[in-house]
Amino acid sequence: MNQIASQNAPSPKVVVPHFVFGSLTWLAVSLLIFFNPAAFTQHFFNPLLLSITHLLALGWMTMVIFGALYQLIPVIMEVRLYSERFAIFSFILLGLGAILIAYSFWHFSFHIMLFVGGSFVVVAVIFFVANVLITSYSSKKKNIERIFIITAAIWLLFTVLAGLTLAINYAFPFIGISHIELLKLHSHAGIAGWFIQLIIGVSSKLLPMFMVSHNLNTKKLTYAYFLINIGLILGVVSLFILWKYGVIISVIMVVLGIFSYLLFIFEAFKKRVKKQLDIGMKQSALSFMVLVIPLFLILSLLFDLDMLKNLTLPLSVAYGSTIFIGFISSLIMGQTYKTLPFIMWLKVYRGRIGKVKLPLPKDLYNEKVAVAQLWLFAIGFLLLLTGISSSTNYLVSSGGMVLLLSVALYNYNVLKIIFHKSKNK
Amino acid sequence: MNTSNEKLMALLKEVIDPELMVNIVDLGLVYGVTINEDTHKIDVNLTLTSRGCPMGDMITEDAKQVINANYPDYEAEIHLVWDPAWSIEKLTERGKEELGYF
Repeated sequence: MNQIASQNAPSPKVVVPHFVFGSLTWLAVSLLIFFNPAAFTQHFFNPLLLSITHLLALGWMTMVIFGALYQLIPVIMEVRLYSERFAIFSFILLGLGAILIAYSFWHFSFHIMLFVGGSFVVVAVIFFVANVLITSYSSKKKNIERIFIITAAIWLLFTVLAGLTLAINYAFPFIGISHIELLKLHSHAGIAGWFIQLIIGVSSKLLPMFMVSHNLNTKKLTYAYFLINIGLILGVVSLFILWKYGVIISVIMVVLGIFSYLLFIFEAFKKRVKKQLDIGMKQSALSFMVLVIPLFLILSLLFDLDMLKNLTLPLSVAYGSTIFIGFISSLIMGQTYKTLPFIMWLKVYRGRIGKVKLPLPKDLYNEKVAVAQLWLFAIGFLLLLTGISSSTNYLVSSGGMVLLLSVALYNYNVLKIIFHKSKNK
Repeated sequence: MNTSNEKLMALLKEVIDPELMVNIVDLGLVYGVTINEDTHKIDVNLTLTSRGCPMGDMITEDAKQVINANYPDYEAEIHLVWDPAWSIEKLTERGKEELGYF
């Protein structure tokens, strides 16, 4: 018999801690948003927003993505993960690093703790990248999804190295470029190079699998790959040499690349065999709709439209928040329901499949709670975005409150799935 | 298809794809069944809607157990096949109906 994916699955002990750490961090971040709305209504280079952003990007988003990838790489590349030990080292260092960095930024302290935290994250990422590269080397599947994942991992390494360099440069200046320009370089390498590219690689395999969509045109993904990566390299170089037109061309290329990917996802959606979307896929669909907002925002910010002059700063924060919260966080929350229940279900019931009547993976979470989570998320995010765009603290705080409720429900379901006990002894 | 094969296919309808919630026969995942009365072996050729399907284990195990429970004197073997690849055309009318395909 040919190997099937679950035979390559890693131990849940490797995957599950990432989900627990990640979802608790997301809960802590929503508390921080609720109590500190001013972080979102001033210039984006402020201690609280830097702290919140790094907690989100490292402690929640990257953390859960790492955990999920250890499970999904065997599905996508049809091969076992190279090293579970590497994955555990990486988890510990990433968790510690995220906390140290967030604490340092909160106190705007560019001292030893920040550099130690940054170094932890760099080493965590080196372990992760090595694991991905060695695993993919042993895979015979040379598909576009694999190339996206490898390239995303390399951009992640670039991003964290650039971040650490930026922190050192802030304390001991040696690069003659403004911190804001360098911050744009660091953040976009992370957003487009790591997060979006990784999402493209994983989702272009999994979403058609979940919706059962066949005969898709993968050329759209190839265009996306070249547009995003050539655009990003051009952007990084242009930001560094302060070449404005280079930056404009690079943004247009990356945006076109993302649109090309969105067209692929839309084609998969139209050709789906499974007509009814479940709750995890509904929240994912919401995330893709939200992604269109920052694509327009960045173009309007880039062309410096006169009518938006006074709104440049709030719209910059709105742009970042839409990507981090409206798109990536929401997509992770939705896709958790498509991955975590399967991981725990296989752990609890493997060996008894077919012999007794078993619950289904979707029975491991409370669907009503997941529906409430989705609605609260949509309302909370809308309030947050309105508050940021109009620089209104109480709206940001209200958005934070509703998001907090949504994330609390998400945490409830994550813990319910993880602590599921066998129904049939 | 002879009556024993029909009986086997009816049995395999008890096996449900947990993602789509439709049985594997109406999904068109069962490519063929053969019963060998001399060797007391039952072979099932089965595919999945996509390679790397995370629930592949569950489907193949379920199919094996359903046959074992109903044919205790026979040995069931499930062969996972990828050629030809599964496509929408393999759905039965009932399968299409259950997926809301019309």
